[in-house]
Amino acid sequence: MSTLTLDVREVSKRFGDGETAVKAVDSVSLAVEPGEVVLIMGPSGSGKTTLLSMMGALLRPTGGTIHLDGTEISALTEGRLPDIRLRQFGFIFQDFNLLSALSVLENVAIVAELAGAGSRVARDKAAALLTELGLGERLDFLPEKLSGGEKQRVAIARALINDPALILADEPTANLDSKIGHEIMRLLRGIAKERGRSVVIVSHDQRIRDIADRVLWLEDGAFRDVVTMATDPVCEMAVERERAVRAERDGETYFFCSRGCRDEFLGGTLPDDSRHPRSEIAVR
Amino acid sequence: MSAEGLLARRSLTRNRVRFAVSVGGVALALSLTLALDAIYAGVANQLTTYVDRAGADVWVGQAGVRNLHMVASWLPASVVEGVRAVPGVADATPILYSTDTISAGNERAVAYVVGLPADATMGGPWDVVEGSARVGRGEIIVDQGFARTAGVSIGDTVTALGRQARIVGLSQGTASLVNSVAFVSFDDFQAMRGGAPVVSFVLVKVAPAASSQAVAAAIGSEVPGVTAQTRSDFSTQERRLVMDMSADVISIINAVGFVVGLAVVALTVYVATLARRREYGVLKALGARNGVLYRVVLAQSFLSVAAGFLVGLAFTGLLAFVVARAGLNLELSISAASLIKVGLFSAVIAGLASILPIRQVSSVDPAVVFRRGAAA
Ligand SMILES: Nc1ncnc2c1ncn2[C@@H]1O[C@H](COP(=O)(O)OP(=O)(O)O)[C@@H](O)[C@H]1O
Ligand SMILES: [Mg+2]
Repeated sequence: MSTLTLDVREVSKRFGDGETAVKAVDSVSLAVEPGEVVLIMGPSGSGKTTLLSMMGALLRPTGGTIHLDGTEISALTEGRLPDIRLRQFGFIFQDFNLLSALSVLENVAIVAELAGAGSRVARDKAAALLTELGLGERLDFLPEKLSGGEKQRVAIARALINDPALILADEPTANLDSKIGHEIMRLLRGIAKERGRSVVIVSHDQRIRDIADRVLWLEDGAFRDVVTMATDPVCEMAVERERAVRAERDGETYFFCSRGCRDEFLGGTLPDDSRHPRSEIAVR
Repeated sequence: MSAEGLLARRSLTRNRVRFAVSVGGVALALSLTLALDAIYAGVANQLTTYVDRAGADVWVGQAGVRNLHMVASWLPASVVEGVRAVPGVADATPILYSTDTISAGNERAVAYVVGLPADATMGGPWDVVEGSARVGRGEIIVDQGFARTAGVSIGDTVTALGRQARIVGLSQGTASLVNSVAFVSFDDFQAMRGGAPVVSFVLVKVAPAASSQAVAAAIGSEVPGVTAQTRSDFSTQERRLVMDMSADVISIINAVGFVVGLAVVALTVYVATLARRREYGVLKALGARNGVLYRVVLAQSFLSVAAGFLVGLAFTGLLAFVVARAGLNLELSISAASLIKVGLFSAVIAGLASILPIRQVSSVDPAVVFRRGAAA
């Protein structure tokens, strides 16, 4: 069991200089506790991948700090990063990124070997892990012979082989159909809960929210509060529930943009289509 | 096997065509050098056969004469007694020698013509397959290969040193790519030279207790106007002459082989690295150090070159076997020196071929793993 905490403080990333500079991540803070599953959502281009790359020591922030259990990994020299990546992080990618020339077993064992395990030990450990993940029959297959779900399970085994504190996954279900995608998400949740790993998942897939302990919404490089939206039944404007004028009728709660609309609603009759679906969208 | 070795081996063998091109190219390039070396070594062996097999421990020639090929050596006949008088000399036989042509019908061939005294104990043919090993006046012993090509046999006549001579014996092992050795009587040879009392070389056998080196030195200092050398020195001089004559050709072929081998390996390893650029990025993201990845590239180069070297060696060996069977006056001899040279070549090729791919790998950004692209 790991007790490592990842602590991201005021982290920013700017690509390029001057006129053409892009601020991909803008002063983001976040702490991830052991055993926690954090889901970072947001539209395409909002900076999710950039943030995850910085959390995994693959990319240096242009501002702010990232600490892993007290060590400021964002300040480490290039030479010390491979060891951190190898032992503290497990990565899972949308494209699986398995090594095409190696068998399933070798893909997983080699990461243990890179961390110093002997060939025999590495292979035994990889075989055990893969078997646990239901790939016992596929050990000698080449990645090209596997289905998408199988490839992602190999990638998960590879991410776990060195017992890392954190699993970082970027759009892990984007190339999978929704049933397999859900299986993979449940697997990741299981890993967090049973093995005490922290799991950070980046996705824009709404269907996987239910496995997360915490959902964060990233937009234009910064976290926004997740607010619940409703539609004013009178003027049909989108309103934030938390700030709206509300009223009860027949055991239902309604949200309005103004007292005027509420009064009109309470005074008149309920239209047939008054039960507008509530949508959850993010606003500033 | 190490992680590096595994990655290198897999990335070579999973693309068989590229590996075959790589190994084949290196094999071809290296066997160019190996085969040429072997041919020259073979030719040198043949050219020194007479010196090596004549039976003399020390060769005494005109002052300054250090080898046999294309030289003229004339000594007064009186030196023979002078040589015999030197302590440590057990036996001495004078011979006359000239590079000439022998002809039979339309067939003409270059030959070392040797004039042998009737009582010669050295300098004669060492492997007579048919007829006599002794030549009298008007007689000649020729190489059996020459006889076959010229269509003559025992009893037929050939022309040597401008005179007719009757074949009395056929010898073996007395031909090279360039020439053969023919034996005539000393008296005939002397007569053809106008009867002057001269000899070309005095072949010396040293006493059992004496050293060739010491006897050669003693002859050199006690007999005026001669150069005396041990058989091995004389043979080495002869060999060096061949190698000097062929040095330019060998250098050119070596350079061609080196450049072709380098180009093939460099290109195939570079292409292989480029094709797996993303996977090198994945390995970096997973925590592989640059050094590990450099070793993967180096191992690929070295494995390709080593396989190419072995295939090239096998090919040259096969060529030597085929040539030996083909009945050509040609022999291929693969020497240790040549193997070491080509081995060093190979190592340098593998090292140089890795430079560009290593630069490629070092510049790969591990963050590529999150960019979309074709991957397994
Ligand atoms: N290496 C880079 N160089 C320049 N701009 C980049 C780079 N990586 C990402 N960006 C930009 O940063 C922004 C956020 O990108 P990204 O983190 O990939 O978003 P997401 O993963 O949420 O789709 C985008 O505008 C993108 O174009
Ligand atoms: Mg992304």
